[in-house]
Amino acid sequence: MATLIEHSSILIIAVPLLIAFLTPLIGMASKKARNVVVISSLAFVAFLVFTLARDVILNGIHIYTLGAMSPSLTIPEGIMRPVRIILEVDGVSVFMGIVVAIVSLVAVIYSLSAMKGETGQNKFYTLLLLMVGGTFGMVFTGDLFNLFVFLEITSISGAALIASRTRFADSQEGGFKYIVVSAVASLMVLFAISLLYAQYNLLNIGALAAAMQYTMLDRIALVILISAFAMKLGGVPMHMWLSDTYSVAPASITVLLITTSQASMYALMRMCFILYGVSLDLAVVGWIVIAIGILSMFIGVTMAVRQTDITRLIAYNCVCEAGFMLVGLGVGIAVLGDATVLRTYGTMAINGAIFHMINHALFEGLLFLVAGAIFYRIGTRDINQMGGLGHTMKLTAVFFLLGALASSGLPPFNGFASKILIYESVYQFNPILTIIGILVSIITLAVFVKAFFSAFTGPSLPKYEDVKEVPKTMIAAMTIFAVIIIIFGLFPGLVVDWIVRPATDALVNQASYIDAIRGAMP
Amino acid sequence: MTLIVESGYEFWNPIVWLITFAVVMVIVYFFRKRGEEKYKKGEEQAQIFLCGEEVPAAEQRQVRGGNAYWGFFETLKEYYDGVVRMHTGIVNDYVVWFVAVTAISAIILLIVKLVG
Repeated sequence: MATLIEHSSILIIAVPLLIAFLTPLIGMASKKARNVVVISSLAFVAFLVFTLARDVILNGIHIYTLGAMSPSLTIPEGIMRPVRIILEVDGVSVFMGIVVAIVSLVAVIYSLSAMKGETGQNKFYTLLLLMVGGTFGMVFTGDLFNLFVFLEITSISGAALIASRTRFADSQEGGFKYIVVSAVASLMVLFAISLLYAQYNLLNIGALAAAMQYTMLDRIALVILISAFAMKLGGVPMHMWLSDTYSVAPASITVLLITTSQASMYALMRMCFILYGVSLDLAVVGWIVIAIGILSMFIGVTMAVRQTDITRLIAYNCVCEAGFMLVGLGVGIAVLGDATVLRTYGTMAINGAIFHMINHALFEGLLFLVAGAIFYRIGTRDINQMGGLGHTMKLTAVFFLLGALASSGLPPFNGFASKILIYESVYQFNPILTIIGILVSIITLAVFVKAFFSAFTGPSLPKYEDVKEVPKTMIAAMTIFAVIIIIFGLFPGLVVDWIVRPATDALVNQASYIDAIRGAMP
Repeated sequence: MTLIVESGYEFWNPIVWLITFAVVMVIVYFFRKRGEEKYKKGEEQAQIFLCGEEVPAAEQRQVRGGNAYWGFFETLKEYYDGVVRMHTGIVNDYVVWFVAVTAISAIILLIVKLVG
């Protein structure tokens, strides 16, 4: 078991990547065997993630150096700096790992039935595993260049997956937009990395953080990194690609796209809190992040309420929810330099933002799966064409209601628990931000009231009288999300204590991250 | 370790909320049970009454999502005109927005450095 834990971080990335390339070969022999292998590999990865998470939370940061005699030897003898590929897994990394593990497993279970009639399934599962491996890589790597490489892996596989249903023209357009936006973001990230490398001759995040001088070039690199990751996570006004792509991708891929957007949120946090830390112009950068957050909340929700395409409606709501996280993080960044204020409400704002990340993945994931189930049965995303589906798709209606109430921040669901942490902590920073947040939550409820009543209530329409519930695996996938939403809603304190607080502690403690690299010197 | 979330000023305990909700539901059920018992499902009294007019078909009775919140959109017409115009759907514009945000953020940080 100790050996498994020691190598778990690299296995979590390597298993999906290796199985990805085996999938077409197995699929040529047997489709069932391929499905079993894909699900088993992701279940094994989820087991590894939870094992690693337990180890990290109990014993601290996990270091894994590729190519070294021992995985913990970060700096080769005779060289005074880390030059190898190093995975550095701390509380926030394992938190993200848990999100990706849960969502990817659910996405594959859902895909078994949802993608059954589609062509190119071998390629689909190959790309899906590549995307999962890439996302794990993004959140586990301690190296900036590898962050770029994994960002590229998720972008390329994501674009291909969005366009995987080749019979839909809008899917092709969505895939094209995603690859253009992702390529711009990735190349700008690479440019920012090159600015840092040119100055410090380093790529390791911990080593760079220790050497950071916050020169003019560092400032330019910071601005580029913030903008690029903000675009990838759908921050307004760089959010427009999100509704164009989330709405046309297969539902199981959309939930994975949410995790890749969150991996970009993670990267943004890693850059601000760990790479730059207290050397930043904290108040200014904090307010830039808050401004993007507030714009995302308001424009996201007001655009959502206007939509008649159910997946675009949920996609705009994703923009809005990303705004809540950005506001929480922005407040955390703004007060990072003041230990008293950070302790009073700063860490609580970060707790709220991080807790909202996993909640967002769960309830928006559930909503997208429900939208996918509706499309699977009636072949339209237009809510003007829907009505009375609750008569025949009762379980799906309940799942939608659950996701909608959680997203609107109504008690006792998980969205309320994370939003109340954001509201109360942000109120002490600036009350207007909380007032906007509450107003946005009210409009969010209006968004989902419109969607729910249009799709599920009203008289049973004759053209949908024969519509049945979706297949069992799709129901099972939605049930997993629904059960976790209820558990997180009923026991938020446990979630905060077990996985959210360690993530926040890891973020605000830059010295631990740097020392983990230094402490592992030979 | 607790089952509640504490924000430092207040706390949130969903179990207490659920117990309160259950008590309210019991009270609501009590009043509901005391209501009219003569209602019979499937008879004429359960049919839609539209001032004696013929009741339209199910498709025509359904209020469509596109008709919801008309007043809200009408009130915010100017805001929506601007915001919708912003969403062109053209990928070139998406990249322009990225450049604009990067440039504005860079100028703000530059000013802060010069002033500071």
